Amino acid sequence: MLTFSPSPHIHRRRRVRGAMLHVCVALAPALITALWYFGLPALQVTLVSVAACVAAEWLLARYVLGRRDALPSTSAALTGLLLALNLPSSLPWWTVVAGAVFAIGIAKMAFGGLGCNIFNPALAGRVFLLISFPALMTTWPVAGGGFAAAADGATGATLLEQLKYGVTDCLSRSDMLLGHMGGSMGETGAVAILLGLVYLLAVRVITWHTPVAIIATVAVFDLLIGAPVADNLLGGGLLLGAVFMATDYVTSPMTGRGMLVYGVFIGAVTVVIRQWGAYPEGMSFAILLGNAVTPLIDMWLRPRRFAPARKEVAA
Amino acid sequence: MKTFKLGGIHPAPSKITAGMPIEPLPLPRRAVLPLAQHIGAPAAPCVSVGDHVGRGQLIATAAGAVSAPLHASISGTVKAIGEVDGPAGYPMAAIIIEASEADHEADTVARDRRLAAEPQVVAADRTPDGIRDRVASAGIVGMGGATFPTVVKMGGKTPPEVLIINACECEPYLTCDDALCREYAPQIIAGVGLMLTACRGRRAVIALEDNKPEAAAALRAALGAESRIEVVQLKTKYPQGGEKQLVEAVTGRRIPSGCLPADVGAAVQNVATAYAVYAAVECGMPLIERVVTVTGSVAGRGNFLVALGTPLAELLRGLPDDCEVVLGGPMMGRAAINLDAPVTKGTSGVLVMPPAPAPEVEPCVRCGSCVDACPMGLEPYLLSTYGRMRMWDEAAAARVADCIECGCCSYSCISSRPLLDYIRVAKSALRRRK
Repeated sequence: MLTFSPSPHIHRRRRVRGAMLHVCVALAPALITALWYFGLPALQVTLVSVAACVAAEWLLARYVLGRRDALPSTSAALTGLLLALNLPSSLPWWTVVAGAVFAIGIAKMAFGGLGCNIFNPALAGRVFLLISFPALMTTWPVAGGGFAAAADGATGATLLEQLKYGVTDCLSRSDMLLGHMGGSMGETGAVAILLGLVYLLAVRVITWHTPVAIIATVAVFDLLIGAPVADNLLGGGLLLGAVFMATDYVTSPMTGRGMLVYGVFIGAVTVVIRQWGAYPEGMSFAILLGNAVTPLIDMWLRPRRFAPARKEVAA
Repeated sequence: MKTFKLGGIHPAPSKITAGMPIEPLPLPRRAVLPLAQHIGAPAAPCVSVGDHVGRGQLIATAAGAVSAPLHASISGTVKAIGEVDGPAGYPMAAIIIEASEADHEADTVARDRRLAAEPQVVAADRTPDGIRDRVASAGIVGMGGATFPTVVKMGGKTPPEVLIINACECEPYLTCDDALCREYAPQIIAGVGLMLTACRGRRAVIALEDNKPEAAAALRAALGAESRIEVVQLKTKYPQGGEKQLVEAVTGRRIPSGCLPADVGAAVQNVATAYAVYAAVECGMPLIERVVTVTGSVAGRGNFLVALGTPLAELLRGLPDDCEVVLGGPMMGRAAINLDAPVTKGTSGVLVMPPAPAPEVEPCVRCGSCVDACPMGLEPYLLSTYGRMRMWDEAAAARVADCIECGCCSYSCISSRPLLDYIRVAKSALRRRK
């Protein structure tokens, strides 16, 4: 039998699920780094977060929205993975579940599900937890090594907290690069995150615009105000956010020029919060604010058209 | 390497029939010749049912300034003048000719003799007016698929600064222009020379994508003393052969929205059209056959010289049970469900695609692939939504009329959304409203 369809009759192979699986692969080095330094608790947070996100989405779709054909989705699993990497490894399981339910239920499904959310679900979940459980969310286990947490379960300050409150110098540069320091599970290993960036660029899941704009803005802004550039780039969630959170398709601008503006905005807000705000860390807030201005950026920065009409040139 | 700047995609080339020689397909016993094989007014029949016509005889005349005459592609008796089903099942007016055994044999012998021998050059009027008359009376139209009457594009008051001959063949699968360039380079160069004379131009550029080095070499070798013509290779990128993209790649000038190549001093003609001009002027051949690429998931692939009016079924040997037949390339070609429909002046390829299971359409995740791919700098995701929501004014303001329907957006969508389908809805709604 002959079939009939409109052109084009060929399509590229990549689909949404494939793009998300690429992001999961790109997150592998950061996840392994997290498990190396924070041990079993990190694994527990990851598993709970992924399972809670997938379950929350499926249950909401099936029983609240009445979609009988709903299936567990890759996108919810990715949200769960990203959420976990943005949390301290010592977080109790019920807190992780609360964050996951907020991320999926409020930030994603309430806005209409995949593609309709304004804010990055994982970051919305993280900020929800940060505001609701500030003590738990700012208790940082000291990094151990060899797939084990620090032996005595000790906790300590993050690099940015030390900076904020005037403590200096307890970390070598190599510790900072490899992630041997306190912080959210996935944010500490700069090398691992940059490996992920290289992978995402190589498989063309993201473009360079957003991460480069964020990192360059933070570096230049810090230089101008005399803040320590390296500490600000390697400490806190800057790299994790620039590579994995701010590049989320749904919540970032559509054009390269738009992404540059968005990246500069996020970088600048991050420095302002870190330098003058109450929090030592500002990346999550900056990205959520960037998400909020994304529709404006898309309206303001249209792609360059091929050529205007003659009369428009004359006018 | 020259190319156009905005957007574009790199689909798998799939040029399975590249390098295959042009093979004459046996003449059909029954030819269906639609009266509207071109843009413009349909031709007016000038024969009656029962008349006996010879191969190449005029059977319908041009009806107006933008129209083209039609010639018998086989000798035989006019069986009917009326409506037949077109490739998509819609009715179209056509003249149907049936050959007797004697007609068929005589045609075949004459055709074989002509193909075997050096073409017979007839005494021709090679003044601009003489060439244009010949091109008009031979029924030549743009053979890349747009089928605009060629003579209309040659008759501008101001000669073009550059005549661009489109041999890009940027559609995957298609190789008919490539084959023509490799085998008939001297004739193409002669045809381009005639076109230049006809439009009083001084310079012509034959543009190909750089994936056809043999064709480019053949054309360059055939240039000889012809100093007005240049062969230029462009980057292989779809839609390099789109008119606006091609003019930009060759001249660096962008045709403003709503304007034509002539507005930036360019004229664009297809390379197969150049060959047809040569055949018409130098050999007195009206446009009654063309090269067609038969390709895809079908046994009898190749580049065939096909008489116009040949039913598609006669080109498709070993057609699988379940498939989609596409006229043209996979990016812009149209599906056919009636294989009794004929090859026409604009049929560059017959492509057989496996019946792809319709991919599940997912929500737009705003990945930006369609925006990056659009060669016109549009926002396909937005235009498509306007089309779906019937927001015609918004679609017009977002320049939906600039869309060239190249299909890059639908091709690149990772959510398999039918972006171009809804853009077409908006375009046709706005056209109707005008």
